[in-house]
Parts: sequence; C-alpha cells; structure tokens
Amino acid sequence: MLKRIIATSLLSIATLAAAQGAINQTKGDYEDKFRQLNESLPTPNVYRNAAGQPGHQYWQQQVNYQIKAHLDEEKHRLEASETINYKNNSPDTLKYLWLQLDQNKFRSDSLSAMSSSFGGIGARGPATKSASGDKPAQLSLDALRRQQYVADHELGYQIGEIRDASGQKLHHVIVGTNMRIDLAQPLRSGESVNFSIEYGYNIVEEDAVSARSGYEHFPDDKREGGNDIFLLAQWFPRLHAYTDYEAWTNKEFIGRGEFTLEFGDYDVQMTVPGDHIVSSTGVLQNPRQVLTSTQRQRLEEAENAEHPVFIVTAEEALENEEAGTTKEKTWKFSAKNVRDFAWASSRKFMWDAKGHKQKDADQDLVMAMSFYPKEGGELWQKYSTEAVIQTLDVYSRFAFAYPYPTAQSVNGPVGGMEYPMISFNGPRTELQDDGSRTYSQAEKRFLIGVVIHEVGHNYFPMIVNSDERQWSWMDEGLNSFLDGVAGREWDPTIPWGVEPRDVIGYMKSQSQVPIMTQSDSVLHLGPNAYTKPAVALNILRETILGRELFDFAFKEYAQRWMFKRPTPSDFFRTMEEASGVDLDWFWRGWFYSTDHVDISLDKISKLRMDTKDPDIDFDRQRQVELDKPMSLTDERNKAEGKQLWVERFPGVTDFYDENDRFTVTNKERNKYQKFLKELKPWERATFERAVKEDKNYYVLEFSNKGGLVMPILLELTFADGSKEQQYIPAEIWRRTPKAVNKLIITDTDKELVSVTVDPRWETADVDVSNNNYPRKIIPSRIEAYKRKKSTKKVSRDIMQDIKTELKSDDEDEDEDKNDD
Amino acid sequence: MKTRKLLQVLASLLLFMAVVPAFAHQQKTAISTILFNPRTENIEVMHRFNVHDAEHAVRHIFGKNADIIASSDTQQEFSDYVAQRFSMATQNGDAITLQSAGYEIDGQFFWVYLETGQPAKLDNLVIRHNALRDLWPSQINTINIEGKGDLQTLTFSDSVELLKVEFDHQ
Repeated sequence: MLKRIIATSLLSIATLAAAQGAINQTKGDYEDKFRQLNESLPTPNVYRNAAGQPGHQYWQQQVNYQIKAHLDEEKHRLEASETINYKNNSPDTLKYLWLQLDQNKFRSDSLSAMSSSFGGIGARGPATKSASGDKPAQLSLDALRRQQYVADHELGYQIGEIRDASGQKLHHVIVGTNMRIDLAQPLRSGESVNFSIEYGYNIVEEDAVSARSGYEHFPDDKREGGNDIFLLAQWFPRLHAYTDYEAWTNKEFIGRGEFTLEFGDYDVQMTVPGDHIVSSTGVLQNPRQVLTSTQRQRLEEAENAEHPVFIVTAEEALENEEAGTTKEKTWKFSAKNVRDFAWASSRKFMWDAKGHKQKDADQDLVMAMSFYPKEGGELWQKYSTEAVIQTLDVYSRFAFAYPYPTAQSVNGPVGGMEYPMISFNGPRTELQDDGSRTYSQAEKRFLIGVVIHEVGHNYFPMIVNSDERQWSWMDEGLNSFLDGVAGREWDPTIPWGVEPRDVIGYMKSQSQVPIMTQSDSVLHLGPNAYTKPAVALNILRETILGRELFDFAFKEYAQRWMFKRPTPSDFFRTMEEASGVDLDWFWRGWFYSTDHVDISLDKISKLRMDTKDPDIDFDRQRQVELDKPMSLTDERNKAEGKQLWVERFPGVTDFYDENDRFTVTNKERNKYQKFLKELKPWERATFERAVKEDKNYYVLEFSNKGGLVMPILLELTFADGSKEQQYIPAEIWRRTPKAVNKLIITDTDKELVSVTVDPRWETADVDVSNNNYPRKIIPSRIEAYKRKKSTKKVSRDIMQDIKTELKSDDEDEDEDKNDD
Repeated sequence: MKTRKLLQVLASLLLFMAVVPAFAHQQKTAISTILFNPRTENIEVMHRFNVHDAEHAVRHIFGKNADIIASSDTQQEFSDYVAQRFSMATQNGDAITLQSAGYEIDGQFFWVYLETGQPAKLDNLVIRHNALRDLWPSQINTINIEGKGDLQTLTFSDSVELLKVEFDHQ
C-alpha cells in the first residue's frame, strides 16, 4: 500500500515537472526570463513556418454562399434559403461539416444560458446580481425583460430541409450553437460539395437581449405602428473554420469569444419593405431596381465629391419614415473574398457617401458610406463618413491598401460591432425640449472613436483572419493599438487611451490574467484584450524597437496574413523575424505572464580611479578623512575653550605630531616606481590614460520588483544642470533577473547629481516612487490634486449651452445653482 | 455590518434601465486604489472611472442633460453618488467614515477622491463598492490596497457585495 502511495506521488511530481516544460531550473531560484519561446510555441510545419509565415503548403477552405432572404417587418422575422459551395482545400477527407448556428445562443437551453451563473461575470448582456452581504438578490429590469422576451418569443434557428445538389436529404445533428451535417459521400481533398439549407428565425430585439445584431423599434415615429431599424448579422448558418492548427474550430459560442470563419464569395438577395434602404457587405448589383434615378446620380457624384453627398437626404428619410408601403423590393448584393456578411435595413435611414481614392492599389475607389436615422442627426452627417475614410487612410499605411469596394458605418441599437465592409455604431444625438438635436463633445469623441475602431476591424480580423473565439487580443489588441494611432492623427488633444500609464492599475492587481487566456475565461476583458496588448505594442513601437523596425515588421505581418489565418505564434515569430530583434522575453512577460513592470533604482555609488602614486593617493585619503564630520566632543571641547594637553605642555610632542599617518616616504615612492616598471606597455598606457582622464565612475544598483523585464530608461542629471538620456536594453536582466548593477562613466567635470528611471512613463512602471535617486517624494494622486486643482473643461455641450439667455443682475440669484 | 449569507433569494427590481451594449469604448470597469499614505497618515481612496462609462451612467442617473465633463454639478453629483456606494468598516462593525477630497477629470478618466485618518490599529477592512454596479451589474470594480503589507486586490463582480482584506502585523 505504501509503495503504491509513493508511486502515485512520484508520478504526480513527474507530471508536474512535465507541465512546467522540458527545461527545468531545479537548483537555486534563477528564473530565465529570456528563455526562448520555441518550446512553448507550436512546432513550425509546412503550413506555418518558423518565420511566422504561411508555409509552402499553407491551405484554407473556401466557402461560397448564395442566400435569398425575406424580411418580415411586422413579425420581426427572417425566412431564408442558402446554397453553400464548400471547397475542401485541406489534405484531409471530411465525412461531415460543422456549421455555426449563432442564433441558438438566445435559446433558453443554450450553453450560454445554462452556464451563466446568477449575476455571472463577463456576460455581454443584461446582468443579474445575487445575494450577498445584507442585500437580497437582484434582477435588473433588463434581465427581467430579457427573460420575458425569451419566454414570449421562439428564439434560435428553425432549420428546415438540408439537401445536397442531387436533392438528397442530408442528415444533420444540432449541438447547441453548432450543427453537424453528414455528407452523402466523404469529401476528399480538392473536392467541393454543394448543399442547401432552408431556415428562419425570429430576429431578437437588441435592446431586450443585448446582442451583436437585432432590431430596434421606434414606437414614437409618426407612421402607425412605428418603425424599426434591422441589423442582420450572424443571420445565416455559417461554416465553422476547418484549420491546420485545430481542425474544426467548433468550440461552442457562449457569447464572448467571437467568430472565426472561412473566406468566400457571396451573392445575397434580400426582399424587404419597398421603402427600406439597405446597407450591406458587398456591392449593390441591381441599383436600377431599388434606387431612383436621382439616387443613382447622387451616388455617381459622390465618387469624386470633396464632402459626403446625400443619397437619401434627411428630409427624404423623414418622409419615408412617416409614410410606409405594403410593396416590397429585392436588393441584390455581391461580395468577393469576405469572411462574413452582414446587412441593415430601415425606412428611417438617411444615406451619405464619399469616394475615397487609393493610390497604387488594386481597389482604387472605395465608397465610404454612412446610414443613420434622424436620431443620429448632425453628429453622423459631420463625422461618420469622414471617420471611415480617415481609418482607411491610416490603417492602409500600417497594413495594406483597403481591398474592398465599400466601407460603411450604420447607426442602430448596437454600440459597436464589426463585419466586412460594414460596421454598426451606436452614438446618437439628444433631442432637446425645443425640438433641436444636440450632442456633447464626449458623444462626438465616442462616435469618431467607435467608427475608427469598428471600421478598423476590417483589417483585423476581417482580412487578417485571426481566430477571435480563441484569442480576442489578436483582433481587439492590434485594432486598439491602431485606432489609438489613427485617433491621435485625427486630433491628439482627445485622450485616446493606450498610454502605458493607463494600464498600471490592472497590471499590478492580483486579478490580472495572461493575455493568452481564451477569451471566454477572461475576467477583465477590456483591460486584458484591448488595453494591455495595445499598450504593449505601443511600447514596442515607441520604446523598444523604434518606429522604423516596428512598422516594417507589423506591416510584414499584416501582408503575410492578408486573407489568411494567423495564430499568435505567427504574430510573435513575424515581429521577431522581420525586426531582427529577439522579443521572446517581451512576449513571455507581456502575453504569457501576469508580471508587471516595477524597476527600482536602489543605490548609486561613486568610484574614483586610484593613481597608485602615493603623493596623490595619500593626499586624497587624507582629504577623505578631513571631510568626515568633526567629533561632537572635540567640537564642544573647543567651544568651551578647553586647551589641549599638548598645547599646554609642548614638551610632550614628537615627530608624529608633525607628520600624520598619510605622510609619504620613499618606501612608498619606490614601490610605486616598481609597480609602473612591471606593467606591460599596453597596461601602462591604459593605466596612465585612465589616471590622466580621472573620470567619474558610478555604479547604479537596480532591482526588479514587478518581475517583468524591461529596458531601463535613464535620465542622468549633472551638476552643471545638463541632462542625458541613456537606454539600457532589457537583456541586462538576462542572468540576474531580480537585480542588476550598471557602471556609468562620465568626464571629471560631469558630476552626476541625480538619476531618474523612465522619466517619461514609457514602460508602464507601476511605482514611480522608487524611480529616482536620490529619492524624491512622489505625492499620491490626492496629495497632488490638493496642490493643484484641475479644472479641465475639455468638452461641453456648447450647442445646447449657447442657447442660454443672458440674465440681468436681479435674475442672477436663481442661476447660481445651475450649470457652470 | 456583519457579513452574513442570505438563504432567501429575493428578486428586487432596480430603478434604472440600463441599455448599454458592450463595445470597445465603454468598458464597464473601474479601478480604485486604497492607499495607506505614510506621509499624510491618511487612508486615501482614489476611484478611477472611464469617462465613457461615467458619461452614460450620469445620463441614466441624473437625466439626459447631465454632463460629466462640462457640468460641475454633474461631477459633484456623480462624486456624491460614488461616495454613497462605497464604504469601509472593520469586521467588528466599526464604520470608517470617509470625507470627500475632491474629484477631477484627467484624460479619459474621471477620478473621485475620498480620505480619512488611519486608525491606530487596523486588522482588517470590510469593503463595499457598488458604484455603477447598481446601474449595470456587469460592471466590475477592482480595488488595489496598497501601503499596508503586500498589495492586495479585491474584485467586485458577480454576486459580490462585501469583501474583506486582512492585514498582517509583524
């Protein structure tokens, strides 16, 4: 029995060791922060090579869709049929195909619903709170509304017949948000198969269930029964990706980890009420059937316009939303090489457009367009389409020219969500009592920011097709980094985030998780998938690699994986391989660990070169002794006028009273000469030069309190008031990651008085109070605030405030309490 | 102020309707620092909210013309709102009353400051931080407690209303 216990415990120790990796430090406490990542990254192969490039046998599937959809506005229901052409480019034979049925997430028996804890965290939707402390459990009105909505409506897909090209019914099994279709014949490598699916579903009310798409009802519009805006996304059974790294990526949709899909061509027909305007992925194929000649003419004008041109004006949209019709129209769109397809439809839409010309690009004209109701108003007229164009302009510089013919921004109930060529963005104006619509500067920033972010997603992950279900940071982090760049180029006075200092609170907390955590399991998604990776890339660009190396490598990554499917290792490898800089320590620290940055400058010692010449050195030593503070007793004796014994009785003095212990004799001088003689010529030259230059030698002692190894950025301040910057690469930590010393040599007259680590807050150092030597008192935020009260008025709703009437003196009293 | 588990699960309605979908710019997270400041001998509480979160919150709480950036009234109201939903006590039930130390906007963040003198001896703290969590319960409030032993982090998410930290005295 005992034997067995021993055997078991040995086994578990062995398992533990294996889990830690093949290379183990089993003595001392040395941690190799620079250990190369190869043992953690997947082995390079013919599909993804060691450079982070698609391998010479890289493959991906292609899936083409033909969809005919009918939108029933009254019932808020979609009925559709799709024909799918699946091309198997993989080397494998497939007996079945897996499809995504995302609408099933809203079913009450979905994994999402069943696995949500009461008051569960991380839900993208109305939340609940369970009991604790002395408070009863709470259900928000939202949660109740959602519950009632789900109870009252049949949600999820109704899947009808599935038949292959010969009309034969295909067996299928629905597993939550996934569906397996068993093929009549195994699909061999290089073959394709066609099949069709009849389906329908009740469109969710976005406000009730909080989704990435759905409808919004406007009951107060003049038309009887009100109006709706429909945002259609995740609206058709879509093929799961089949990949070289995970095979079928059929991890169930729980709500947080988004999608990964295959590229393909789409032909979509949507039949909608005759007065609706449709915005969609792709290019409109039948403008003559659905647009008036005036609208078509305006679209043509817009191609070369300097400012956005209205295709549907505000007045026309208002007329539309008041009238209504019983007729229907069928809009036809076609999209090439996209990984998804979404659309929007409403009679409330006004529509503006402006052509964006791209030089030296395959797609020389891109139509930037915005669709929004009167609730979007002037805010959207002014900024939406312009922000779309600015995004394409900036992102193209960092990645590749925009390859699609349209880029659209649509206002509806969704706060911000991205699809190929189309994005849904939420900001709106406020209706004032006088009937006008105004917006604050904060709402303006919100609109510009969200449009840049969502349109930017065209690049990551719509074209550089990363797997969002596994790694949110690969699209959100890269995109947040670039939206910060674009935002600053729009207006640097707007705070755009992604400053290293913004993430220190999260990084020093005990609840941080590694960026490489699967997205459904991340506790703080915002700081983890958006801010921290964006900050990390910003630091790489501005501080570690510099812009030239970073921009080249980042662009290389984007272009290598344009219309392909990268994984994290492909990003890490490309950034290293293209920049020529070993960054394994950086990925390890920032992406694989929860270390934070806290470098402390603990001590500086000054050293001076001994000349060995006793006539110089002994005198210096004497001076050192004299520089020591006088004994307090001696000083007080003197002050009291005490006469020394030797002064009172001169006879008791001798030789040693005249010559102190630093007196030089020929014995020392001979020794010095002998020392010089014994030096080899090169030693003597070096020695004499060092003595002559008599430089200052400073030893700086650093400790790494946060664990994350980073370059040490120094600002040296000298006695003459001058300052010097010094960059010590992160590699200084490679052998002793907890503490390092650095020798700094300056000219004799360059006397160092103080040193600051990371003076410009570039590295996300969480504690700057140990960054100065000598130490400085760094006030806490409250202390600093009390010293200087900040009264920044960066944004006001001046459009509304300007209507304020000027009060006469006697009216003043009542006004004191109102807005400043 | 004793922590007790309620067996009874009641559904009580919140007054506020929160229709705020998630996207990049509204994170529904706040991060705070409770600092035991050795220089001032105060406990300093510094709450950091994203302006985008606060902007939407104030309109739900104080009406559509509330403006967290431009209106000092709104800033004061929001600051008071936060102060009301944040409290500290010892496990014995002795409340530690905080005074307002001001508020400010700094870049994309709205800061609310509270402080009080450090008690002579403090073995633990029981903390409640409900700000914005009554509005949209998916709000996650994180607190780093610094300056008293190793940094400790409290995360108010899920069902949590009260959290406790212990301080070691050596």
